[in-house]
Amino acid sequence: MAERFDAIVVGAGPSGNAAAYTLAKAGLKVLQIERGEYPGSKNVQGAILYSDALEKIIPDFRDDAPLERHIIEQRMWILDEQSFVGTHFRSDDYNKPPYNRYTIIRAQFDKWFSSKVREAGALLICETTVEQLLLDGRKVVGVRCDRMGGDVFADVVILADGVNSTLARKAGFHGELQPKNVALAVKEILFLPEETIQARFNIGEEEGVVIEMMGSVTEGMVGTGFLYTNKDSLTIGVGCLLSDFKANPKKTAPYALLEKLKRHPSILPLIEGGEMKEYCAHLIPEGGYNAVPKVHGDGWLIAGDSAGFVNAAHREGSNLAMTSGRLAAETVIAARAAGKPMTEKTLAAYRAALDDSFVMKDLKKYRRLPEVLETSPQFFTTYPALVTRAAKTLFTVDGVDKMTKQREVTGSFRAARKLTGLVGDAFKIWRATR
Amino acid sequence: MSAAVNVEEKLFQNRYRVDPGRPHIRIKQPEVCANDCQTQQCTFVCPAACYKVEGNGAVTLITDGCLECGSCRVICTEHANVAWEYPRGGHGILFKFG
Repeated sequence: MAERFDAIVVGAGPSGNAAAYTLAKAGLKVLQIERGEYPGSKNVQGAILYSDALEKIIPDFRDDAPLERHIIEQRMWILDEQSFVGTHFRSDDYNKPPYNRYTIIRAQFDKWFSSKVREAGALLICETTVEQLLLDGRKVVGVRCDRMGGDVFADVVILADGVNSTLARKAGFHGELQPKNVALAVKEILFLPEETIQARFNIGEEEGVVIEMMGSVTEGMVGTGFLYTNKDSLTIGVGCLLSDFKANPKKTAPYALLEKLKRHPSILPLIEGGEMKEYCAHLIPEGGYNAVPKVHGDGWLIAGDSAGFVNAAHREGSNLAMTSGRLAAETVIAARAAGKPMTEKTLAAYRAALDDSFVMKDLKKYRRLPEVLETSPQFFTTYPALVTRAAKTLFTVDGVDKMTKQREVTGSFRAARKLTGLVGDAFKIWRATR
Repeated sequence: MSAAVNVEEKLFQNRYRVDPGRPHIRIKQPEVCANDCQTQQCTFVCPAACYKVEGNGAVTLITDGCLECGSCRVICTEHANVAWEYPRGGHGILFKFG
């Protein structure tokens, strides 16, 4: 069955769906291949949907997309074993449509996005794993699926096969992921009545809260915890660099870390009584700008997590995925319109488009951050402990005069990091995030 | 403290379609895990506890509860001893929520 397509898209996550939708809308003959039972059944995310990236693809997505809650409040917590120090940002501006971001449940959302892709005219085949790319010399000419007679051919293949990026690796387009460049995240979904969630988080119907956490919960590993409000469920999870999990002398399993987070005295009252209905794990490519592989070649483009497009500093990924999928598709459409072959030279326009977008601009801005965090565990151990201790010292009324308390706080910082260390750390963070 | 957490209870909530007799991950050379690997990090990093250390130091792998994250392959940097593929189409973990 040597059926031929204008384009094959591997994967039906945010980048694959964005690519397939854009291609099909432009009238191309598109085959999309998904290994799950349905789109979303292999996909894991926190999950926050940033409206802007999807609006650029499906402007009226709010009409029927399965959205959980729009986020009106963002909390950042620094934890020690007993307490947290937090900043909360809540604004009624976030309560005015069109909403900026939503919590979503990926299995439902991806299914919806995929229905739009099929409406646009793409052919979707599920329950089919692509085993390898078919090459003619250096040029990708199609894919081999794990079904009888599973070779399919196309002018161009868009790889949106996720963080493990097995197809590009097998074809030798890039090497294996480095443990320091990926985070392993685990999470659970806990079901609670809608009203209970609203009361516990001080929110109204359809309003949502996001809590991001750092500190003792990761046992000194580079990582964060999170708690998101869905309509009638909560998502709670924790993720750390894989290299840190591997090197942790306590040999803590990821699920043990998650259990510890769930039992934290500041978290437990929020999630208590929640009925756990699923436990997920996923890798997140957090290597940033310097870990982005080659994203195009003869007959192929790579988008989303498989290209490492995650802005770890801002916890953004699905928006980079959708944008890169769209830009990959637009590159193909423009090349076709100009009658150009899908060569590496033609498809270089994709990299240029990425460089010109927030995707690469943001990754470039934070290009030093992965290395700084990886080599500076104090940001995940010493500082959270100092901050919570300082808060306790200052807020406990016990007859000790305030000047003494203030000296104790500044003394604790200087004792832990010395003045040079404090200045150096501040400089590191400034340089890595400016 | 890992021992205190029962991961099987968590995995029990998940939906799987196991492909009987066709594990998608394989330890390439079991003797390398038993004799050459000092750290055996797969036995505590795997989020589904698919890898276990036996009394004799051997590492065994049962992929039925696998969440298909890829961690075992990525962390096996010294020996690259994990042959890792996705399950056949439609098999393996099937997330209800993701």
